[in-house]
Amino acid sequence: MGEDFISYELKEFKLFEPLFRWARKKSLWIVAFCTGCGGIEMPPLFNARYDLERFGMMPNPAPRMADLFLITGYVTPKTLKRIIITYEMMPDPKYILAHGSCPINGGVYWDSYNVVKQLDKYIPIDVAIAGCMPRPEAVMDGIQEIMRKIESGEADGWKRYRENYEWYRKNQDELFGEGWREKDAKRWLAWL
Amino acid sequence: MFDWKLALEAIGMIIYATFMGFIFMGIERKAMARIQRRVGPPIYQPLIDTLKLLGKKESISHGFIYDFGPVFALGASIAALLFIPIANFQLFSSNADLIVVAYLLEVPMLGIMLGAMSSGNPYSAVGVQRGLLTMVAMQLPYGLALIALIQHWGTFKLSNIVALQQIHGWSITVPALFLAFIVFDIVFQAMLGLEPFDVIAAPAEISMGPMVEYGGKHAALLFTQHAVQLFAETAFFAVLFLGGASNLLELLVKQIAVLFIAIFVASIYPRFTIDQAAKFFWKWPTILGIIAVILTMGW
Repeated sequence: MGEDFISYELKEFKLFEPLFRWARKKSLWIVAFCTGCGGIEMPPLFNARYDLERFGMMPNPAPRMADLFLITGYVTPKTLKRIIITYEMMPDPKYILAHGSCPINGGVYWDSYNVVKQLDKYIPIDVAIAGCMPRPEAVMDGIQEIMRKIESGEADGWKRYRENYEWYRKNQDELFGEGWREKDAKRWLAWL
Repeated sequence: MFDWKLALEAIGMIIYATFMGFIFMGIERKAMARIQRRVGPPIYQPLIDTLKLLGKKESISHGFIYDFGPVFALGASIAALLFIPIANFQLFSSNADLIVVAYLLEVPMLGIMLGAMSSGNPYSAVGVQRGLLTMVAMQLPYGLALIALIQHWGTFKLSNIVALQQIHGWSITVPALFLAFIVFDIVFQAMLGLEPFDVIAAPAEISMGPMVEYGGKHAALLFTQHAVQLFAETAFFAVLFLGGASNLLELLVKQIAVLFIAIFVASIYPRFTIDQAAKFFWKWPTILGIIAVILTMGW
C-alpha cells in the first residue's frame, strides 16, 4: 500500500442496514469470470460434493447482477483490463476474493513480464486465499471469511475503490498507458 | 363509493401471491438441487436474493423506457392475478376473463423485452429476438388448447369453468381435454421459462439474455414480477384443468403439483435452440391441439 492511501470511516448505521447485511451475506452471486487455471476449480464448488448453493451462492453470467468476483489465478494485463471493466460494471456492494497465490504476489510467475504481480494495486481485494491451487475447502473457508466480513462491515473493497479511485486509476494508467479503454475498444476496428 | 373490502382483498391477495411465488421459486431451486444430489439453498432463498438486490447502493439506468419496462411487467402480472379466481376470492370478473388472463400473462414478457431493448446491449437484443419468436411460436398451441377448453365447457368465464368442473369432474378426466392438458403443459414450460424452452434467458449461452443489463433494484423488481407471474400461471393452470379450488390450501396443493411436473421436465431436458423450439411448437403440440379441438367439436 502506498502512503498516499486515504483512510476512511464506516458511517452507515441506518435502521435496515443489519437486515441488508444479512441478506448480502446470504446471497452472494458470483460473476462467472474464470481467470487462468483456477477456472477449473470453480465448477466443483457448485457440484454435488461441495455444494456452495446451500450458502445461497450462484454463478451468474452477467456482471450487473453479481456481488462476488473470484479472481481465480494469474492475471495478465490483457485480462486485467477486462477484470477492471467487469468490476466497474457490478453494482455497488461488491466484493473480490483473490484465489490462489498468483493474484497475491505473482506466484510462480514472479519473473514474468506479462503477469500482474500485485493485484491489490489495481483493484481492491477483500479476502485472499493462498495455495496453488487451493482446495475447495480452502475456497469455502475464504468465502466464510468474506461472509463474516460482510456481516461486520469490514468487507469494504467497493468503498475503498470509490474513495481512492485516483490512486487505483493512477496505477492502472501506469500499467496500460493513458486512455487504454478507448484504445482497447478501437483496437479491432482496423481488422474488421 | 370506494369499495374498501375489495381494495383490502386485492392487497392481501397481492401480498399472498408474491410471498407464495417466492416460495415456489425456492421450491424450484431446492427440487432441482435435490435432483442433482445437492443440498440446495434454503427454501426462502429468493426472498433473501430480492432483499439483497433491493439493498444495492447503486442502480444503472438507461433511460425512461428501461425503468418503465419492469414496472409495466409487474403491473401486468398483478392485473392477471386479480382476474383469476384464487380459491373463493374472485376479485374482478368480466364476460370473457379467460381471454383477458391468457393475454395478460403474455404481457410481462413484452414489458421485459421493452426494457431490455432500450438498454442497447447486443446480448439483450439477441435475447429479445429469441423471446419474441418463442412467444409467437407458443401462441398457436396455447390458443388451440384454450379453444378446446372453451368449446367443451361453452363459457369464457373462469368462475363458470370452475363451477362446471365441480359438477362434471375435472377437465383432465375428459379425453379431448386431456390432450389439451398435454398441449398446455408443454406451453406452460415455455411460459415459465423453464428448461427445454428457456431460450429466452439462456444462461451461459447468451449471458442472461434480456436480463443482462438489469442489476440492483431493477433486478429486484423483475424477481418480484417473476414470483407473481409464477403464482398466477400455476393458479391459472389449476383453475383451467385441475378443477379450481374451494380453499387456498387445496389450490396450493394443485399449484405445487403443476410446478413439480414443470421442474421434473426442466431438470432432465437440455435446452432447445430457437429454431428447434419454433419447429417443435408448430409440429407436435399444434397437431395435438387440432385433434383436441376436433374432438371437442364432435362430442
